[in-house]
Amino acid sequence: MKNKYWNPFVGGFFLGTALFISFIVAGQGMGASGAFARITAELTYLYDSAFSSNAYASHYLHNGANALANWTAVEVLGIFLGGYISAAFAGRIKGGIDKAEGYSTYKRLFWAFLGGMLIAAGTRLARGCTSGQALDGAATFSTGSWIFMLAIFGTGFLIAPLFKNQWKNVN
Amino acid sequence: MLPLFTTGAITSNLNLLYGLLIGIAFGFIVERAGFARAIHIAPTFFFRNLRVPQMMISAIITSGTWMIIAVYFGWVDFPHVFIPTVYVWPYLVGGLIFGVGMIMSGWCPGTAVVGAAVGRLDAVVFGLGMLVGMFVYFINFHSFIDFANGSNIGRFTLNRLIGGNIYVGYLATLAIVIGLGIFMNTMKSIRDKKGEDI
Repeated sequence: MKNKYWNPFVGGFFLGTALFISFIVAGQGMGASGAFARITAELTYLYDSAFSSNAYASHYLHNGANALANWTAVEVLGIFLGGYISAAFAGRIKGGIDKAEGYSTYKRLFWAFLGGMLIAAGTRLARGCTSGQALDGAATFSTGSWIFMLAIFGTGFLIAPLFKNQWKNVN
Repeated sequence: MLPLFTTGAITSNLNLLYGLLIGIAFGFIVERAGFARAIHIAPTFFFRNLRVPQMMISAIITSGTWMIIAVYFGWVDFPHVFIPTVYVWPYLVGGLIFGVGMIMSGWCPGTAVVGAAVGRLDAVVFGLGMLVGMFVYFINFHSFIDFANGSNIGRFTLNRLIGGNIYVGYLATLAIVIGLGIFMNTMKSIRDKKGEDI
């Protein structure tokens, strides 16, 4: 990893300060997974309006509401813009696929897709992801966020050897 | 009185505008720290470097400390700050599934949004996987709704677990992050000494 990136403790200070500002302005922390859930709910609803009575998605769509008219959905649009702005100024807009050298592109994309599917389910059960649940909850002293975070990192460390070829010599 | 929105000081539309700005700050910081790239996230799980946990620990301490100061001086009405309701078993199972998905994909939802913004194709594919995963979850939700909504213990900060007020919750949080930091450092030194992945 090159030195041109911020020191992680400095990055964490800025991230934590932004998170605190989010708490005192919106009364909630920063999230990401909720926007994915809402995009799926809205797209499915546009295809078939009967979906508004779906056991899960109904609370996004009740009374004909647009699932994307929501704080987290707008904030995630901001995440995209902020990431783009930062990378553009640093000259880091660069297409490509991250994996170990020589690892199959198809396999890599398969695992990325399947991992995305699993993470979607994980975030719905846990009411958030590494941002909206783990980080936000830990910063507000919640017990549940530590249950979630220890489960994530525990499993990640345990099964990492299965994926060592995909991430060989990557650092 | 803070928070501005949940105590009624600002309108919903203004709150959305601030949400956009807060998101921009979040995306900017994540990219500056290097986490728009899966190759900078996945090494965490092999203890090759500790940048992800270092940043998370620093952010938790920073935000938690700002919060406890604001609560102490009475600037923030803490009950108006949203904390996700704790569902014990769904959180545990959700974390296990999430952990598998994270080492598999090298992404989590927030970093993948930033990855997609800078042009990483694996982040885009991860995002599509998430959308499909959400759909599969939604259409099957009725069959495990009791599990997903069970073991609800409410808004459960650490001080409710061990007793005491919110300051105890803050100190318990500090103790956990320091303990985790020591554990991670130990694992990394074992790995470094060995010269290869554990």
